[in-house]
Amino acid sequence: MAEPWWRTGPQDIHRLEDRISSLYAERCHIDRDDNAIVLVNKARTVHVPAAWLAVLLVGPGSRITHPAVTLLADSGTAVCWVGEHGVRLYAAGTGTARGSQLQLRQAWLVTRPKERVAVARRMYEMRFTGEDTTGLTLQQLRGREGTRVRRLYAEHSARTGVPWVKRDYKPGDAFAAGDDVNRLLSAANSALYGISHAAITGLGASPALGFVHTGNALSFVMDIADLYKAEYTIPLAFDLAAQGLTSERDARTAFRDAVVKGKLLPRIVTDIKRLLVREGTELSDEDLGALWDDGDTVVSSGRNWSAADHLDIIPEPEPEPEPEPEPEPDERHGSGDEEAAS
Amino acid sequence: MSAGTTVVVLVAAPAGLRGHLTRWFTEVAAGVYVGNPNPRIRDRLWNVVADRIHDGQAVMIEPATNEQGWTARTAGRDRWSPVDFDGLTLIARPRQGGRPWRPTAETK
Repeated sequence: MAEPWWRTGPQDIHRLEDRISSLYAERCHIDRDDNAIVLVNKARTVHVPAAWLAVLLVGPGSRITHPAVTLLADSGTAVCWVGEHGVRLYAAGTGTARGSQLQLRQAWLVTRPKERVAVARRMYEMRFTGEDTTGLTLQQLRGREGTRVRRLYAEHSARTGVPWVKRDYKPGDAFAAGDDVNRLLSAANSALYGISHAAITGLGASPALGFVHTGNALSFVMDIADLYKAEYTIPLAFDLAAQGLTSERDARTAFRDAVVKGKLLPRIVTDIKRLLVREGTELSDEDLGALWDDGDTVVSSGRNWSAADHLDIIPEPEPEPEPEPEPEPDERHGSGDEEAAS
Repeated sequence: MSAGTTVVVLVAAPAGLRGHLTRWFTEVAAGVYVGNPNPRIRDRLWNVVADRIHDGQAVMIEPATNEQGWTARTAGRDRWSPVDFDGLTLIARPRQGGRPWRPTAETK
């Protein structure tokens, strides 16, 4: 079947850093209508500029159809189901990334202790601007981070006059526990996790491969979100509590304004790239769609390598300057890959 | 389009109002006006438009310092109206009362 005409390529959709951060939709029917994403309720329909959106947050009382999800995935929009009880399911379509180079690089860094420590150190250093952290061990950096956060709470408490006892939250149910400041902080952090997650999957990195955090499917999301809490969610929670604005919606709205003002989304994108890719190197995001050959070479997929005279399923492009490595006749590559790559 | 561009769209507007707007804007297609008036002029023109649109519809898209980069004003009868999603403006179209939702065929 031919590709439908509305199918997008990587050139057609907004880069992640140029997108609107998030849209929250609840109590509505999310559907596809004439190739548009629409939110429908009894009174009206609203069209959503999906290809211009980093993440769609689906709240309680919503339902979403298969065609709508198809279109969201094609737009490179992430979808995150957020509930009244904080259970989140996150789905990313193809993202804006098409290649796997960034994720391979992240896996390489995270599995080598020396490289991993170097990245974790850089993450801490980003939070202690102007302080000298050379020679500190990871434990010392962790300790210093704890002190820094405690001092932040105390400072903002003094600034706004909102009393602060301790950080209090219930894992998995962000808005359940603690006093107003704690609940606002949890709600704003939840939105911060959402856009961090969207940025990570959108760039093609892995949310699970964390450097400071480990062992959780969202370790890297927490790593990245922690870089911005001091600047964004902590002051915001105290400010809102001081003004008597204590609903989850207040936290979301104020957080969006802060994200816009601080241009946070492009900053997250550059920070992720800077942490994973060495300065000055360009990581290509080409969809190679290849098969791995032993060593550092790849062979083209979409072809049956089982016989000496292979059957071309995908016609060869124009001859390239360097010929592809010919496989040894006795090697068996991709015997299960006779199907044409989609 | 430069950052300061304003667009006005009029539907079923009285001829006098359409002519009036062409003194500030270029009419690029029937009822579509493009120009660069400053905020003060925009406010004053909008008052005139909202006053005289009667049974037609009018919308003015103007630059703003929000995430989208623009805001919308609307006037008239049975019009599509802006809805705020936590600081993001989308446009809602009124639905025919009471009929169940049916999406159109998937691809066109």
